[in-house]
Amino acid sequence: MSFLAPLFLVGGLALALPVVFHLIRRTTRERTVFSSLMFLAPSPPRLTRRSRLENLLLLLLRCLVLVLLALGFARPFLKNAAAPPDPEGLATRTVVLIDASASMQREDLWSAARSKLSDFLRQARAGDEVAVMLFSSQIDPVVQFEEWKASVPGERAAMVLSRLGDRKPTWSSTQLGTALIRAAEMLAEADLAERSTRRRIVLISDFQEGGRLEALQGYDWPKEVELSLETIRPKEPGNAGVQLVAESAMADSGNDPVVRVRISNAADSTKDQLQVGWGLSNGAGFAGKPIEVYVPPGQSRIVPVPVPPGLTNLDRIILRGDAASFDNIVSVIPPEIARSRVIYLGTETDLETRQPLYFLRRAFPATRRQLIQVDSVKPEASLSAADLESAALVIVTDSLSEERAVLIREQALAGRTVLVAPRTVGMAPTVARLAGVESIPMQEQTGGRYAILGELDFRHPLLLPFADPRYSDFSKIHFWRHRKFGLSSFPGARSIATFDSGDPALIEVPTGKGRLVILASGWNPDDSQLALSTKFVPLLFSLLELGGGVAAPTAQHLVGDSIPMATGGSAPWSIRGPDGNTLRVPAGSTNFSGAVQPGIYVVEGSQPLLRLAVNLDPAESRTAPLALDELERLGAPVLQKTETGETRQKERQALLQSSEAEARQKLWRWFLVGALALLMIETAVAGWTLRQTTLPEGVSL
Amino acid sequence: MTLKASNQQGASSFIDPQALMCIRNLELRARAVVEGFWTGIHRSPYHGFSVEFTEYRQYTSGDDLRHLDWRVYGRSDRFFIKKFEDETNLRCHFVVDQSRSMTYGSQSFTKAQYAATLAATLAWFLHQQGDAVGLLTFDEGVRDFLPTKHRLGHLRLVIDSLQKPASGTGTDLTVPLEQVAMLLRKRGMVVLISDFLAPINQLERALSRVTAGRHEVVVFQVLDPAELRFPFESATVFEDIETGRTLFIDPASARKRYLEQFNAHNEALRRLCEKLGIAYQQLVADAPLELALYGFLQQRRSRGRRGRPSQRGAEGALPKGTGS
Repeated sequence: MSFLAPLFLVGGLALALPVVFHLIRRTTRERTVFSSLMFLAPSPPRLTRRSRLENLLLLLLRCLVLVLLALGFARPFLKNAAAPPDPEGLATRTVVLIDASASMQREDLWSAARSKLSDFLRQARAGDEVAVMLFSSQIDPVVQFEEWKASVPGERAAMVLSRLGDRKPTWSSTQLGTALIRAAEMLAEADLAERSTRRRIVLISDFQEGGRLEALQGYDWPKEVELSLETIRPKEPGNAGVQLVAESAMADSGNDPVVRVRISNAADSTKDQLQVGWGLSNGAGFAGKPIEVYVPPGQSRIVPVPVPPGLTNLDRIILRGDAASFDNIVSVIPPEIARSRVIYLGTETDLETRQPLYFLRRAFPATRRQLIQVDSVKPEASLSAADLESAALVIVTDSLSEERAVLIREQALAGRTVLVAPRTVGMAPTVARLAGVESIPMQEQTGGRYAILGELDFRHPLLLPFADPRYSDFSKIHFWRHRKFGLSSFPGARSIATFDSGDPALIEVPTGKGRLVILASGWNPDDSQLALSTKFVPLLFSLLELGGGVAAPTAQHLVGDSIPMATGGSAPWSIRGPDGNTLRVPAGSTNFSGAVQPGIYVVEGSQPLLRLAVNLDPAESRTAPLALDELERLGAPVLQKTETGETRQKERQALLQSSEAEARQKLWRWFLVGALALLMIETAVAGWTLRQTTLPEGVSL
Repeated sequence: MTLKASNQQGASSFIDPQALMCIRNLELRARAVVEGFWTGIHRSPYHGFSVEFTEYRQYTSGDDLRHLDWRVYGRSDRFFIKKFEDETNLRCHFVVDQSRSMTYGSQSFTKAQYAATLAATLAWFLHQQGDAVGLLTFDEGVRDFLPTKHRLGHLRLVIDSLQKPASGTGTDLTVPLEQVAMLLRKRGMVVLISDFLAPINQLERALSRVTAGRHEVVVFQVLDPAELRFPFESATVFEDIETGRTLFIDPASARKRYLEQFNAHNEALRRLCEKLGIAYQQLVADAPLELALYGFLQQRRSRGRRGRPSQRGAEGALPKGTGS
């Protein structure tokens, strides 16, 4: 007979209790009162007589009850009952997942992972099937089941190791959940006929806290797929990482340029005194005096790093003082102010508060990232082609001379965006000249009911920012007056917005490489409420963006991200990576996903020069050990958590069999029944004994 | 002297203490003993007690002529006054221990009950003779004090006081005996009834103070048969009845030493009494009280024979009319 919970047998020690009680009863009950103890000396207890037990039957019964209880709680079972087949004898189908994320670049974790793998391969038997995959944010198969089966059993390990070759950990994040699901599915989809095969995933990883397990949430882990973990730990624990903090473009435009970084220290770090500062491009060290930062383990600090004046080509902020260096560089493009120019061609002065120029000037405030200069040019003032070339947007609200209209049309043909908002119908010849047509019939629509915008094309880039239903309500804007013209007068024109009367309100006329945008009304209060509405400024920025006058947003990119490229053209283009290699992006591709290492990527031939800062996933910096219970909570049947190999697994298997046998036999019930029966007998015997002793002599029952 | 030995010879004629103690009333108990004793004493071979004169003296004018010894005058033609023992001036004080150790009893009655019966018997007996009796009870201090008087009502008071339950926690003979020495101005007789289960060395000083007052002292040591023989068998926890102190005692191993020490204590007490000229009598609680009374009188007689002019006053304790 064996026991599932042998610790309960310790309860058998309670046997001493009834014995002690039987003895104690003797010594405490009997007292003799005597007149004086003057002549008496205490005598030493005489064990032979004192420890004589009375009521031996009762004592025996009580002891037996305790023994039975202890045996019952220890959950006994008989071992010889039919045991399930030994899983050790089965062929095993294994997927070995090796963590190749950036955190594996620490110390010699990678070589430790390789030796774990070769250990495992050495133990593999001829009948086993093994597939090996590296995973980070992507899954990279090294050896598939078919290749394994196809190779000679004796050379399989060497084959896998040679395939692994000199592969190094990537710079990507750890998508642990996705990798596990992929491996589990590989095992689950294996032919169902092979029921007798044991399936398992061997996961070789550093199990860092930043490993993403979210994918496992809600995933139904396939039955019979086991997961065994091989944990690798660095000798020196702890790590601190540095990340950029996203900043609003509107923030304090007046101050010196500052980059804010977050420094987070892992919970198991032993160091908390760190230095952070701009680094030299050649990686030689700090470009100036570093900032001393105190970050206790498990916490993070935001540190503003001022851009040192007079230094150019700054592209990185570096961190020093922690245990692992793989995540100590963050690539940064230092903030620069983009300047663009808007040329306004009109007759009014800045002081006329009810005229378009007045509102235009207020629509472009200076920000930290952008400075937009609005230049008003009077019809009689001189205007050169060079002036126009420097402008991102040209706005025309008054009649122009013929030469000037031609000049502007040339600019539009060359790719500039021109906005025309005729103030009067007298501007019709100018509009016709700009559009390159003979004449345009134009009528003034005024008096009676005001007009509102009836139909808007939110797919047009101009109105794209308003596509969200929250912003798409233009009905609050009343147009008191507008100029009526026919859309058909302009060849190839596209209506962007029409009034409720059906007249065009905003049209785009493609002109060569550029475009002419005609607004049928003005934004000044005499014409409409447009300048006073919330749509005015976004609309103007959309126009400016069409003309290429808005600085590209500086987004944070992570290694492995697919980076959307707005300038996807018809020709293939190339990007220069941080290591100097040039990557070709095929024509028509709007995404760039070749950023496999952190650093600055430069889009070659772009104007202005487009630079992408690609950094490590901040989660990789969280190198504190992952709570492995989390895996079990998410449903993965973890077989072993330590590196002790098979022994614990065997123990666990044996325990499982034992508990099954115990559950089948349920011997504990009989022990409890026996204990209850003995208790009843004990009660009866005790009652009988008591009556015997309390009845006067000579009275028999 | 132990009356236990003589118990056997006169057992048939004496009242068994067990039966005697069944009488609830202490006065009745005392009368039963004394009257039985009177009846028995007429049949007893011990007689020859008489009123004894102490001295002659020359008649001087003014003397009562009734006391003139006419026979001497007839023989010698001289007037002599025959001076008899003062028969009523015996003042007997009973000093009775009522400490809690006296409440011990292995029989159906306690030592205290036995001692009270003894005191009541003697008091009744003396009162019958017309002597004055007084009482002092004590435990660790003096409890009751009744001066010596010869009145029936006073005797009732004495008996009532003796009936009070013993409650004291300790036995301290020093204080009560010093009290007695202070209170008893007139010479008298002091009957001390206790178990004397207290250190001997304290006792010596107290007793010598009483004898120094020229009182005649009679000591009755009342013991329980269990104390004398220690008949216990099983090893148990023994609890001191006075202090509550407990000891684990195995009688088999402790008996020898106990008996040695107990007997040594009693012997020391006896020696002490002898040294101080005190009549000592050990009474075991299963001995008939008549024997105690008899022993008491025997004591008196031998003392009288030995001639103790200084202690004359006590001679009146002898029963009158038993002249030789």
